[in-house]
Amino acid sequence: MMNWINRNWTLLSILVLAVGLGWMVFLPPLAEAATGGRIPAPREGFLAPDFTLQNAQGQTVRLSDLRGNPVLVNMWASWCPPCQAEMPDMQKVYEMYAPQGFTILAINTAYQDQKSSALDFVAQRGLTFPVLFDLDGSVSSQYMVRAMPTSFFIDRQGIIRRVVTGGPMSEGLLRAEIEQLLREDR
Amino acid sequence: MLPILQIGPLALPAPALILLVGFWIGLDLAEKHAHHFGADPKAIYNLALVAMIAGLVGARFAYAAQSPGPFLENPLNLLTPRPQMLDSAGGTMIGLLAALVYGWLRKLPLWSTLDAATSLLSALAVTLGLVNFASGDAFGAPAQLPWAIQLWGEARHPSQVYETLAALLIAAIVWPGRPVAQHSRLRPGFRFWVFLALSAGARLFLETFRGDSTLVWNAFRQAQLIAWPVLAVSLWQIGRRLEPLPRPASPEEGAP
Repeated sequence: MMNWINRNWTLLSILVLAVGLGWMVFLPPLAEAATGGRIPAPREGFLAPDFTLQNAQGQTVRLSDLRGNPVLVNMWASWCPPCQAEMPDMQKVYEMYAPQGFTILAINTAYQDQKSSALDFVAQRGLTFPVLFDLDGSVSSQYMVRAMPTSFFIDRQGIIRRVVTGGPMSEGLLRAEIEQLLREDR
Repeated sequence: MLPILQIGPLALPAPALILLVGFWIGLDLAEKHAHHFGADPKAIYNLALVAMIAGLVGARFAYAAQSPGPFLENPLNLLTPRPQMLDSAGGTMIGLLAALVYGWLRKLPLWSTLDAATSLLSALAVTLGLVNFASGDAFGAPAQLPWAIQLWGEARHPSQVYETLAALLIAAIVWPGRPVAQHSRLRPGFRFWVFLALSAGARLFLETFRGDSTLVWNAFRQAQLIAWPVLAVSLWQIGRRLEPLPRPASPEEGAP
C-alpha cells in the first residue's frame, strides 16, 4: 500500500488539489458565509442590538438614532471600582472627540445599583456625556453583560467593532479604538 | 460558550486562559518529543519562548501602529496590560520572524526543528478550536441539523467543534511512533509538511461551514484561497521526501 502511494504520489497530489479546487470554486460562499454585520448580537462584527433608554432628565435616547457616528456603549455601576477608575479617561476622550461626532452612552445598570448613587457619582466627577439608566436590566441582558464594566465600540454603520470586558480601560486603548472608528468613511 | 470565568470578584477571560494552558502543554510535548527527531529539547523550548515573547511585543506594536497618535504622545500607553491592545496578525508575523532569526543565529537544523515544533503546533491547533468555542469566535453558518448549536441568535454549524476534532485527528496522525513521525527520522521535515498539508486540507474543507468568512470578490473565501496553495506546496514537499533514499555505496562499489 505504502509503495503504491509512493509511486503514485504525483497523481494523488493532483487529484487532491483538483478536488480542493472544485470544493472551493463549485461550492461558492452561501449567503450565510459572512452574516455578522446583519444580525443583532452583542459581539464584534455583529450589528449592535438597538435599545431605547431614558437619561436622568427623563429624555429618551435610542441607539439607532446615532447611526452615522461612532458610539461607545459603556455598561457600569457606581459601586464598581474599575468603572469608577475609567470614567475620567472616558470624559477626557469624550471632550476630545465629540466635535468629530463621537459620543458615549454610559448605561448605568440601575437594576443592581442605586440611581441616586449613580447621579451623585456623575455630579462629583463632572461627567458630561449621556448617562442612561437600565432600570429593568433588559439592555444588560440583551448585551449579555457578564462583568462590570463592559464596553462596546460601535462604528458608523452600527456594527460592534470591539468589546472590552472588564476594566479600567486606559486612555491609550480608548483613543486608539475611537481614532480608528473616526478614520473610517461615513 | 464561556468568554468570562467569574471567580468571586475576578473576571478572567477564559479564551486567554485556555490559550495559555494549550501553549504550555504544547511546549512540554515539543520538548519531550524533540529527541525523536534529533532536535535539542532546550533549543526547542528557547525557540518557542523567543517566538512567544517577540509575538506579544510585536502584537502590541502592530496595534499601536494602527493609531500611533496616543502612543507617540504617551509611550507609556504601550505598557498598558490589556489583551485587547494586541494585533494577532502582526504578532504572529513578528513571532515567526523572531523564531527564524533565533534559529539562524543558533544554527538550528531547520527540518528537525520544525518536526519537533510540530508537537507544539498540533497542540496549538487543538487549543485554537477550544479557544474559539469558549469565545464564540470562528462561528458556523446557520444550519438546520440535529447537531447544530444555538449561537448568536441562530442554530449554527458547530464549526469550532469540527475544527477541534480535525486538529485532534491531525495530532494523532503525526504523533511520535506513528509512521509519519518515524519516516521523519529518514527524511527530516516530513512530519512538519504532513501536518501542514492536513491542516491546509482541513481549512479548505471546513471553511465552507463557517459563518464569519472573509470574502474575496464576493465569490471566494479568503481562508480557502490561502489554504489551497499551502496544500499544493506541502504535497510537493511530501513527494520529495517520499522518493527512495540513495543506496549507500557498498565497499565493493566504492573500491577502485
